[in-house]
Amino acid sequence: MYSSELIKGTLKTIILKLLSDNDKMYGYEITHKVKELTGGKIQLTEGALYPTLHALEAQGILSTDVVNVGNRIRKYYSVTPNGKKVATEKVNEFSEFLDTMIFLLDLQPKLG
Amino acid sequence: MYVLTDEQIAFIRNDIRRNGIELEELQLDLLDHICCVIETEYTAENNFEAFYRSILPRFYKRSLREIEEETHLLLTFKNYYAMKKIMIISGTFSAFTVLIGSLFKVMHWPGAAMLFVLAIALFSFVFLPILSVIRIKEQTKTKDKIVIIAAAIFGSAISLAILFKVMHWPFANILWTISLGILFFLFLPIYFFGGIRNPETKTNTIVSSILILIAGGLLFLITNLRGSHAFDEAIVNADQQIVENYQLLSQKNPSDTVAIHPTINEKATELCALIETLKVKLTSSVSNDGKDMKEATAVLLKGHLTEPIQTQLFDKNGIASARLKTIQLNVKAFEKLANTKINWNAQQVKDLPLSYVLRNLNLLLLRIRILQHTNH
Repeated sequence: MYSSELIKGTLKTIILKLLSDNDKMYGYEITHKVKELTGGKIQLTEGALYPTLHALEAQGILSTDVVNVGNRIRKYYSVTPNGKKVATEKVNEFSEFLDTMIFLLDLQPKLG
Repeated sequence: MYVLTDEQIAFIRNDIRRNGIELEELQLDLLDHICCVIETEYTAENNFEAFYRSILPRFYKRSLREIEEETHLLLTFKNYYAMKKIMIISGTFSAFTVLIGSLFKVMHWPGAAMLFVLAIALFSFVFLPILSVIRIKEQTKTKDKIVIIAAAIFGSAISLAILFKVMHWPFANILWTISLGILFFLFLPIYFFGGIRNPETKTNTIVSSILILIAGGLLFLITNLRGSHAFDEAIVNADQQIVENYQLLSQKNPSDTVAIHPTINEKATELCALIETLKVKLTSSVSNDGKDMKEATAVLLKGHLTEPIQTQLFDKNGIASARLKTIQLNVKAFEKLANTKINWNAQQVKDLPLSYVLRNLNLLLLRIRILQHTNH
């Protein structure tokens, strides 16, 4: 499992990418999906996830849908049209950042 | 999959609320999340409440409240980074400007006043307010928030008081006293009694309080800072001698000694009378009843550095403006008549503290009398 500092900087990117690819998701589903996709290497903490979700909603990047599930309410998060742009920007930015880090840390696999 | 009962859901929701989650939206999120965890991991043979208690710590490091606080922080600080940027830029700018302004002031270069006004206005009205807002958001206890507000008000007020003092603006002393009042009677008690109760911060609080007391005490010490009494006395004595010499010359009949130009005699007496009247006007403008003129003059002559400039007296509609103009014209005429320069300019008088103005006028009176008696 990666350190929380590393995850903190990429949390928004992860959330936005996941929600862009899926129509709508709820909090538990997001943590579960991330854990599943990364083989448990990235585990989002609820203490970081929900504040970020609420902040993104306040900024108009995400919107919520309330659905009754059995005897309780479930809030589904989805990306707004405006948020789609932000998601792409975030992913692109991180991809460039990765390239830079690979170069900077000299992680290029050696040929031959 | 386990299915939660309504009672269990109500129990969880209440517990979340009791743990300090007040935002309804957040309660719903957490409730659903916890229910999902229970549904996948709980087996009915365990005690439900014990199981719930065992999974709850996964959600936080210290307490569940953290999530609410973090959400608040992110929600209220949409422009957190912009604020931080403005704070750092304004702080750095005002710090350097104060330093450069002080250098200008010490070197008597022009523009020092403008730099001071700019720096302290930025510091008191931009930097400190933003800093305190950011710091307040980080605190959870009301007491800590009040301490920050008190400190910020004190910082702004004392900086403005110093600015007003340096610029000789009115109300500087009142502002100064209010600032120290805030420090001693608002900030320090809250800070001290708040911090001393917590064993962790006890020593730090005591040491900081001592430092603040000493700093405040030193500031209080210079509240009435001015020249020493000996210096005051020397100035008043010199002034008295000028007045005495002037009176001696005034009483002396000029025709006794030398052959004097008759018009000079006449003009000198006329001019002196004009200046005397202006002096009385100026003195009575600050003396309450106008009766005890002698005492008022003495008080006026003693004050110098700390006394504000009395510019309004010489403003367009000020009580002394027209008189000063007449005196200026008469001095020029007298110079021509006596064929000597007196080197007196009404403009110099306008921006001086009142005590300086009186001294300046006394000196002018003496000069006129000397000219009158030496001209032949």
